[in-house]
Amino acid sequence: MRWLSSFLLLVLLGVAQALSSSGRKLLVVLEEAAEKERFGGFFGDLEARGFHLTFESPKSTSLSLLKHGERAYDHLLLLPAKSKGLGPALTANQLLEFMKKEGNILLTLSGDHATPTAVQSLLLELDIHLPSDRTSLVVDHFNYDGESAKDKHDVLLVPYPKASRPDVKNYFSGEGVIAVPRAVGQTLGNESPLLAPILRAPSTAYSYNPKDEADIVEDPFAVGEQLNLVSTLQAHNSARLTILGSAEMLQDAWFEAMASLNGKAVKTANRDFVAKVSEWAFKETGVLRVGKMVHYLNEGTGKKSNSSAALPQNNPKIYRIKNDVSFQVPISEYSHTHWTPFTPPPSDSVQLEFSMLSPFHRLPLSPLSQTANSTLYGVSFKTPDQHGIFNFRINYRRPFLTNVEVKEQVTVRHFAHDEWPRSWQISGAWVWIAGIWVTVAGWVGFVAIWLYSSPAVGAAKKTQ
Amino acid sequence: MPPKSRHTQTSPPSSSTPARPAPSSSSSSKASSSSALDAQDIVLSVWNKYLEKTPQRVKLLDSFMGFLAVVGVLQFVYCCLVGNFPFNAFLSGFSATVGQFVLTASLRIQTNPENKAEFESISTERAFADFVFGSLLLHFFCVNFIN
Repeated sequence: MRWLSSFLLLVLLGVAQALSSSGRKLLVVLEEAAEKERFGGFFGDLEARGFHLTFESPKSTSLSLLKHGERAYDHLLLLPAKSKGLGPALTANQLLEFMKKEGNILLTLSGDHATPTAVQSLLLELDIHLPSDRTSLVVDHFNYDGESAKDKHDVLLVPYPKASRPDVKNYFSGEGVIAVPRAVGQTLGNESPLLAPILRAPSTAYSYNPKDEADIVEDPFAVGEQLNLVSTLQAHNSARLTILGSAEMLQDAWFEAMASLNGKAVKTANRDFVAKVSEWAFKETGVLRVGKMVHYLNEGTGKKSNSSAALPQNNPKIYRIKNDVSFQVPISEYSHTHWTPFTPPPSDSVQLEFSMLSPFHRLPLSPLSQTANSTLYGVSFKTPDQHGIFNFRINYRRPFLTNVEVKEQVTVRHFAHDEWPRSWQISGAWVWIAGIWVTVAGWVGFVAIWLYSSPAVGAAKKTQ
Repeated sequence: MPPKSRHTQTSPPSSSTPARPAPSSSSSSKASSSSALDAQDIVLSVWNKYLEKTPQRVKLLDSFMGFLAVVGVLQFVYCCLVGNFPFNAFLSGFSATVGQFVLTASLRIQTNPENKAEFESISTERAFADFVFGSLLLHFFCVNFIN
């Protein structure tokens, strides 16, 4: 009975979690409860999307990201705090541990407050660099908001980001301008393939410390598009860390604020952009799911199978070299509330590897059919002329999509002794077949003549 | 043809020792006048001697060995020109001929009346039975190997 009830509970949980693909428990770390109202619109949007928000102060003793060795929340939203440290529950180690358990973090920085050491060291560990003086912010003398930052030029107005590469899906596109007030710019290390920028600063922006009294900024932390206003890290386990350079972007004041860009009045589209960023950060978009892989022996119409079973057996453990094999796999993508058929960008394709240590085949999978919530991809190929233990493997890692790595092992055997073509089926062998039979015929003739001539020779011998 | 000519050259000296000095002396004496005609004479005389002195069964063996050599050379030349693609086929075809040649050669040694002193214990019938058994075994293996 217990297993039944737990099963029912699981099913119910599955239904309840139909919103984000990885759960709805969201912890918001906020220093002062009074600040909650300034983010009211954003929290309202999150709750409308189905998240259960829990508010905690970083100083609270009951705050703990992990409980009994498992994560206590599915997602974490860290809002900037005035205090230098974040307390014992939110050390860099704890945050990493939370990500190891596949928790997603949306981290916000602010030029108004110094970045906590825990955050700084966490980001440093992930090869994301913040200005070392902790109070620097991004300014731009060309793309600033003329209304609120006429003198300081520290409220940037930037267009929606374009896809960083033509073969990468853009989950953050839209119309309008985004206000980025008093942002802390980040630079990303070149080594890590896990990092991807969402929003880059305009080419005329640079990092500047307002406490610096000098007239000219010498040796700024970073300039132009080196500076990222919103950047992401997606770990190997697909846990997501999103760094929002400006916490103020989330505030109601900027959601649909009137601003002026180079004298033109514009309305900021922060509400839409922030929704898109948080949807991605909390795994409501860009999540891939791979269904059951199916592979089978593709006996052509011309070939007759030796086995009595006419139907091809699915997922056999063993193939022969030079077998024709078909492979199929359904792939779905999570989009806001449900699973949809996944289609890669036009210049990209999901590939199947047939590999033993290194891939012998790497084939693009082509869509065969679509169901309501998945696309069936498939490919047919001939197993290589090499026996051994092989893997059907899909390794699909793209920016902004969860990592797909699945494989299934099969054995590839060599030809059995009765599976080779007979000698007469190979026309090249006819000469040597003729050679054998001419020899045999000659021998038979020789034996016949020998036996026939035997008495005569014997007689001749005797007479001699 | 080379095996036959080799045999014709080796067997007459062994069969008749006095035959050898005669042609050699004649060739040295007439070398100045016409060497080509001389060589032809030698070959002709050797051939005649072979026809005259060799028992009929040995002649039969020689012609069979000549035939095998031709077949073997043809197969080998074909392999060199065209390639050895079904290599097992080439091996079995060529080795059938070579093996048959070897077996026939041993039959020739054992049944040649000249070697009677050496193979006192082996009768002609016994040697022939061995030859037939060995050949059948060889054919069986070759046909199996070519698949």
